[in-house]
Amino acid sequence: MIGYICKYTPVEIIEAFGEEPVRLESGYKSHERAEALIHSNMCSFAKGVLENIIENNIEEVILTACCDSIKRLYDVLKDKVKFIHLLDLPRKKDPLAIDLFYNEIIEFIEAYQAFKNKNFAEENLLKILESKSFNKEKQSAESIAILGARLKDDVIEKIRNSCTAKVINFTCTGEERVFNIEAKDNLLKSYAESLLNLTPCMRMAEDRSKLINKEFKGIIYNTIKFCDFYSYEYAELKSKADLPLLKIETDYNDSNSGQILTRIDAFLESTGIKKMEKQKAKKGYFVGVDSGSTSTNVVIIDENKNIISYSIIPTGPKALESAFKAFEIALKNAGLQEKDITSIVATGYGRVSIPFADRIVTEITCHGKGAFFIDNTVRTVIDIGGQDSKVIRLDDSGNVIDFVMNDKCSAGTGRFLEVMARTLGISIEEMAKVHKEVKENITITSMCTVFAESEVISLIAQNKDQRDIIHALNKAVASKAISLVDRIGRKGKYMMTGGVAKNQGVVYAIESRLGEKLIIPFEPQIIGALGAALISLEGK
Amino acid sequence: MRSATKIFTYKILTRTFVFDAATKFYKNVVTLIKRSKKKSLRGSDKMDTVKIYANIIKENMDSPEKVNKLINLGLTTAYYYVSFFKDRRIPKSLHYLNKYCIKSIKDSLANPQNSAWVNLFAPSEFLIAMDIKPLFIEAYSSFMSGFFIEDYLIDTAESRGMSNTLCSYHKTFIGASELNILKKPKFMMTTSMICDANIPTFKYLSKKHGVPLYIIDIPYKYSKNAVMYVKKQLLEVAEKLGEIFNRKLDIDKLREVVKTENKTRALMREYLNYAGEKRFIPTMTFEMYMLFASHVFIGSKEVLHFYEMLVEDIKRAPERSGKNIFFIHLLPIFEKNFKDYFNFSDKFHIAGSDLNYDFLDEIDENDPFKGIAEKLILNSFNGEINRRVARIKELIEKIKPDGIIQFCHLGCKQSMGGTFIIKNLASELGIPFLYLDGDCVDKRNNQEGQNRTRLEAFLEML
Ligand code: SF4
Ligand code: SF4
Ligand code: SF4
Repeated sequence: MIGYICKYTPVEIIEAFGEEPVRLESGYKSHERAEALIHSNMCSFAKGVLENIIENNIEEVILTACCDSIKRLYDVLKDKVKFIHLLDLPRKKDPLAIDLFYNEIIEFIEAYQAFKNKNFAEENLLKILESKSFNKEKQSAESIAILGARLKDDVIEKIRNSCTAKVINFTCTGEERVFNIEAKDNLLKSYAESLLNLTPCMRMAEDRSKLINKEFKGIIYNTIKFCDFYSYEYAELKSKADLPLLKIETDYNDSNSGQILTRIDAFLESTGIKKMEKQKAKKGYFVGVDSGSTSTNVVIIDENKNIISYSIIPTGPKALESAFKAFEIALKNAGLQEKDITSIVATGYGRVSIPFADRIVTEITCHGKGAFFIDNTVRTVIDIGGQDSKVIRLDDSGNVIDFVMNDKCSAGTGRFLEVMARTLGISIEEMAKVHKEVKENITITSMCTVFAESEVISLIAQNKDQRDIIHALNKAVASKAISLVDRIGRKGKYMMTGGVAKNQGVVYAIESRLGEKLIIPFEPQIIGALGAALISLEGK
Repeated sequence: MRSATKIFTYKILTRTFVFDAATKFYKNVVTLIKRSKKKSLRGSDKMDTVKIYANIIKENMDSPEKVNKLINLGLTTAYYYVSFFKDRRIPKSLHYLNKYCIKSIKDSLANPQNSAWVNLFAPSEFLIAMDIKPLFIEAYSSFMSGFFIEDYLIDTAESRGMSNTLCSYHKTFIGASELNILKKPKFMMTTSMICDANIPTFKYLSKKHGVPLYIIDIPYKYSKNAVMYVKKQLLEVAEKLGEIFNRKLDIDKLREVVKTENKTRALMREYLNYAGEKRFIPTMTFEMYMLFASHVFIGSKEVLHFYEMLVEDIKRAPERSGKNIFFIHLLPIFEKNFKDYFNFSDKFHIAGSDLNYDFLDEIDENDPFKGIAEKLILNSFNGEINRRVARIKELIEKIKPDGIIQFCHLGCKQSMGGTFIIKNLASELGIPFLYLDGDCVDKRNNQEGQNRTRLEAFLEML
């Protein structure tokens, strides 16, 4: 077995040797052993592969001179595995580049022959290539493209399973190993040429805009932290924005996390290619359950979309128990019983663990739905909850057309404010008061909760006015929110939802950054649940 | 305030002889701020002038024309400041270099129609031979950090979609170009070698501005084929330059440039003979300024002149007294701890950086295209790390430093990926080694408190 990672690897040569090429994965929670050998700020995919090689004692590895991370991975592995070979990979594909790559392949064959004490037979290669020969597949009309940095196979699989369109994987993991070898007299050279002619990755000099087909239903754009190649193309696509575009940023290993899958699902929902069963609208009462990380909210509406009752309770350690409790309270407030309920839609973080729900829908779609229902002039929803924040863009009919989320970090969320209130030794209610007159305009520079906390501590030590510190904190939260808004572009009117919308100071700070008033619903915490209830009624 | 700035800017810019621009600039700025009614500037009287200047620039970001002028003004001010307030602690040659660097940036910014954007490793020999003014990403971004506006530019780049883990030299440059503060040049040229960020940055900018770009793909390994591959591309570059700038490359001129370059490298090697004994580089900035001379502008008469003076200066410099520190790759010129410890210090001297010596051989003067191709492929930062390690070893044996520091610039994987290998080399050679994480451009990414303890402990250890 010989491990490889790049699609330009001459996999068929390895097969012709009678050996098994295996694409190496990363996927380790800890990179402890890798980080003893290579700096921790390297791309996490490269670190994960290193961890894998050490962990599983992989003895043979073939790499390409793909990127700086892989080049250094090679340097680090050099004396640590039995066989390692680095193929230089030209970025162009003119005749001289093909010659260069052809020589690289020959060098590899020689090195591997010497190592394995086995001979390479060209007939074997020819047979393998013929078995993978080209047959042009007709592109089905509905397809979505996955572009950007490598995306794990299991995530690709999940996307395939949950959408109705054909999924085209243009990333490093997309294997389109089909060959059309004509010049059999110099088989290796034409093989080298056809490898260089694979769909170019961002590393290549070639322009990639021809990959983008106007017919795509959408593009899922993957970027990996510390991978330089891909955010540029995303920026370019984003500024053109004539196709629905979803950016996910992962450190590769966490790409199948709930967060990411939620966003992918919401994206599929918004582009209308999510697999789901159609339901007929029915009579009766309809429930939305929003099982969030901080609070669980339930809304009950009737068939005419009147809100009958709602409940908001803090989410306990068990999401399911809290959901039951909130549901019971809402039923009681409405004077209804469970049998009066026609259908239930669950949303939020804990949505998958709610067995009594008939359907689950992401909180993105639900928030959009709820906000537009309350006020149909809303085009941007700013939702700042306890542990995450998101900004959703709606079109004139209330459909979600774009959104961004603040991933994995509590910066600028309710949690951030809570920590700061504790640091200041005041209650969260006190924190929420507006203080329009400021003595000193302090700015908190760190966004990270941990660093910001120490900044606040030093401000306290400097005897700064508490109101000025609160003002600074509100500004910090606002600035995080504004940066999210700016990622999808500004467009009024704005509605703010989530627990933090009850904080006057923050609302005021955001308004002054936007230069526009925010619409605050009568109960900002139930908008997601309301959206879910509406979906439950409409059945779509 | 806007109009005050305008009048002030106008006054300065329209003067052909800006004798007292520097002092006047500062005075004017301070009064301007005092008069300012803008809330965000209130209470900033105490801030130092550069930060005030930075604030004025940031306030005007929505009018790129104005910002462009302000930056030009800053550069002019810096230039005259350096010219008229000579710091006696700075050797003549470095003083000359300082002015040369500022001037070269100014020249290319002032004349975008005769300028090309490049990166540190691009073969500028062609540009010099054709009298085209190069602007290199790394230099521009360092200057913007010097003006304290890098944060704004980086945030802009990130808000347009750039990854926040991308190297800040690139993000700063992209930010400036997104805001149209940077006027688009006639041409762009980059090599693929050493740094991943180059190709995508240039591709992005070229597309965005509709400016032609030539990517020179440099193979990782040296071979005859590789040289041919690069040589052919260099011939294409020369042709493209001819087309775009409407002038022909005179091969004799190119040969002349390469000859000058070879002479310069001979002086570089001579300088290295003294670097181990003398106390010479006063601040980190000068070691970084040297990149102008050892890379993008090498081959020019001015750079040759600089190295001639440099060799004279170092011969006369005092013997080394304190501890000598050798740097791997970059020096964090804006990091406070490093500034405190290294700038104008009697105790700790800057003994050089391997980046300034990534190529020390002669270029074939008979076939400059082939010669330059070889130079590019054989750069010590290109190819397996062993090549770089061998060069570092050579330098260390010459310079005999007391310690080695690698400042791992966030996002620079080509360099930090080799940290532990270089550390092994240092321990083989019995020289203490320290690596610290931080950012050479984006000051917000430096954890000064944490770094201080580690740096201090390391220096105490020596
Ligand atoms: S980015 Fe390109 S060269 Fe690198 S692993 Fe992916 S396909 Fe290979
Ligand atoms: S994800 Fe990016 S940085 Fe990491 S190995 Fe792949 S191309 Fe290189
Ligand atoms: S610091 Fe590193 S990543 Fe940044 S431009 Fe230089 S080589 Fe590239």
